Amino acid sequence: MNDGEKESKDYASLGFRCGLEIHQQLEGRKLFCSCPAVITDREPDFTVRRRLRAVAGETGEVDIAAAHEVQKAKEFVYQCYHDATCLVELDEEPPHPISQEALQAALEVAQLLRMKVVDRVQVMRKTVVDGSNTSAFQRTALVARDGSIETAKGKVRIATLCLEEEAAKVVRREKGSDIYNLSRLGIPLLEIATAADIQDPEHAKEVAYRIGLLLRSTGRMRRGLGTIRQDVNVSVRGGVRTEIKGFQDYRNIPKVIDHEIGRQLQAIRKGELLQPEVRKAEPDNTTSFLRPMPGPARLYPETDVPLIIPVSSGRKVEHLDERMERLRATGLQESVIDAVVRKNMDIESLMRKYPNVPPAFIAETLITTPKEIRRRYGKEIDILQHADELLRKVNAGELTREAVFEILVEIAQGKEVDYARYQGADLRAIEQEIAEMVKSKKGLSPGAYMGMVMQKYRGKIEGKKVAKLVEKLLKKG
Amino acid sequence: MPDAGDLIEIVTADEIITGRYVPQQDEDVLIIKLDSGYNIGIEKRKVTAIKVRERYQQPSRQAEKAVQRSGLPRISVLHTGGTIASRVDYATGAVKAQFSPEELLQAFPEIGEIAQVSSRLVANIMSENVRFAHYNVLAKAVQKEIADGAAGIIVTHGTDTLHYSAAALSFVLEHLPVPVILVGAQRSSDRGSSDAALNLLSAAYFITQQPGFAEVAICMHENLDDEACLVIPGCKARKMHTSRRDAFRPVNAAPVARVSIKERRVEMLAGEYRGSGEGKLELRLFQDRIKVALLTAHPHMLEEEIAGLERCDGVVIAGTGLGHIGISPDDISKENTKIGELLQRLAKKAVVVMAPQAVYGRVNMDVYSVGRALQGYGILPAEDMTPETAFIKLAWLLSNYPVEEAKLLMGKNLRGEITERTEERAFLR
Repeated sequence: MNDGEKESKDYASLGFRCGLEIHQQLEGRKLFCSCPAVITDREPDFTVRRRLRAVAGETGEVDIAAAHEVQKAKEFVYQCYHDATCLVELDEEPPHPISQEALQAALEVAQLLRMKVVDRVQVMRKTVVDGSNTSAFQRTALVARDGSIETAKGKVRIATLCLEEEAAKVVRREKGSDIYNLSRLGIPLLEIATAADIQDPEHAKEVAYRIGLLLRSTGRMRRGLGTIRQDVNVSVRGGVRTEIKGFQDYRNIPKVIDHEIGRQLQAIRKGELLQPEVRKAEPDNTTSFLRPMPGPARLYPETDVPLIIPVSSGRKVEHLDERMERLRATGLQESVIDAVVRKNMDIESLMRKYPNVPPAFIAETLITTPKEIRRRYGKEIDILQHADELLRKVNAGELTREAVFEILVEIAQGKEVDYARYQGADLRAIEQEIAEMVKSKKGLSPGAYMGMVMQKYRGKIEGKKVAKLVEKLLKKG
Repeated sequence: MPDAGDLIEIVTADEIITGRYVPQQDEDVLIIKLDSGYNIGIEKRKVTAIKVRERYQQPSRQAEKAVQRSGLPRISVLHTGGTIASRVDYATGAVKAQFSPEELLQAFPEIGEIAQVSSRLVANIMSENVRFAHYNVLAKAVQKEIADGAAGIIVTHGTDTLHYSAAALSFVLEHLPVPVILVGAQRSSDRGSSDAALNLLSAAYFITQQPGFAEVAICMHENLDDEACLVIPGCKARKMHTSRRDAFRPVNAAPVARVSIKERRVEMLAGEYRGSGEGKLELRLFQDRIKVALLTAHPHMLEEEIAGLERCDGVVIAGTGLGHIGISPDDISKENTKIGELLQRLAKKAVVVMAPQAVYGRVNMDVYSVGRALQGYGILPAEDMTPETAFIKLAWLLSNYPVEEAKLLMGKNLRGEITERTEERAFLR
């Protein structure tokens, strides 16, 4: 932490300015139609060929004729799928009402970011003429403003939360035509933009991590490669605002930013003229030129969608931070908590249902045991299918904790489980047996007696109990 | 109160929000455009004060004089409203009509390479609001442009009733010497993906390249690609989809032509068409007082549906199957019998015509006894006319001919509205 503070000061002296834009895909249906949010890259069922035109704006704003000349030659080929695209993606049908599921996700995130939700959401059209949207615009709506997130280095303001449509994915660019896959078009996307409050490159990573965690708290986010994207805006004194896109892993953010700062500082030293531009994060953490920074977006209302009153369903979403805090209070280890949160396992309800079972054992059963079975026996076990019943038996005293592992191994191996074999053994009978052992084989170590008993009663009695009995009888003897 | 585009400050209990004022319908909400370009709504009850910080200044539009290339045929573009000729004001978000030749050339510069264009607004209505009088206004405007030497006319029109207007103009414009092509847009011109440009340019290209066709037709997308348009006979067209850009299809007929701007090609597809021919252009206008109704036959009809028609001069029934409507008694109710009686009475006072609600195909009222009974009432078959074309034709006939003559002409082909032969390929094209 001290290092970080020192770093921050150093970056402050450079005139470091940095903000993040996080784009996160949502689960469920598409934002303005009922197609599933499914991205496919299989052979298209059919294709549609289109041309886009520069829309006449105010005079003097753009050279329409020039823009038109540029586009005249370009044709766009859209790959379509009967099951993943409909007339809406094809720009052949007006948008359906906005996905309530996506709107609720946005409202939940707004609540977690302590943002002000607007009274009416107006869906806008953002002009996009590169072909990635069949309509030549992206539908986007500002849902909430002015929030903040706490970080190790203080508060970072969240400027805006927008709900928007994902663009079509370019398949390849050919001479005279660009080919796009339409399955991704219209998947709901949350765009979270922070203010330029980020203090240093490590801080940027922390903010990205925290926002990612917060998004996942809703349980409404798509998971997997490419479902979350971080764009970093960064500049130093004397440099220019550069937007960096295409991070493969948010953990690379600090290195990439450092490289970018280095690039800007070097250019400044050499007296080169820097242009505001969009750059791509490369695997080696350097950046490469992608395109010039686009001008201010031209937005106009999506007249096909009426104003939306954002009414929250009232579902309370617990921030994953709070959940982790709560799990810590049960005495679980940090690595276990991390795994529970990462896998979004509902360990809490099992803890409530089975108060006689220590939380650590529940966590072990859910997280460690399946790994252990895979490691030792090379078998997979669907732990969520079996955990509840086994933990119930443990809670009721019908099974020992040791038995749980043995039983799961049997299940994983496809064996019929004979629960009778694992019924708790009669303590008094065992006690008697140990007493006889101690009598007949005198002078052995407590561990040796223990071993003999456990060999016979594995899974029927806990080792700790046997150890206690042996200790007691040895003392007596 | 602020005006559209004014920079305003909205004061609420906990903040001041600055943005440009956007007028809209909802009385409870103020919409402002933030600096980021996003619009947001603020409930008026939360607003304690509105301050205008800066009045909006309309950017001065350069009055560019349209440069027309000489030596090209002259086409007149007549606008009747709809979205094909509209422009968005990015500051306010309002959509404004644009229809001067300069604006048309700015929006569709390629048209200047095809023809010299003149352009004017004849009406500004949504096409569902059209009355017969509008057909007359439009026809007179067409007549004037032809008199002024136009090589062809393009009519821009809302798509909802585009096919009715095409049929209406077909009948009104007698001895038409040049093509009159109606175009619409299923995606408005204010979006980069609009179908308007291809439709308009293809219509212009068709007019300048076709070999002497002189009818009313519709020119719209052939399919979902922005590649080619079909020219469809004005009396044989129908809007077959609410929103697709290839919604207009020929019904019971082949398209007149396929036009590909990209390939610079006009392919004539119909075997025959009317050329400029003899005679001088004459207008045979609609009479607004003529009352014609269009009734759809369906199961469980109510006698009230027929009873309401008694003051009509003409009625087109979009009948089931080969041209039917339920009039036979059944063991459950007497409603069908009453409907039969009412229809029999109606057909004595008004001209009643039977068209196919199946859209494709021809009515034949000789096959089933119900058809024969309806003919016995005096109900006339519309042959292979769509219900819409039959409706327009009946209204036009009653506007221009005595009833008996109108009845006679209903079954005769006047403008290509009835074909005697239906080719196999005239279905679902």
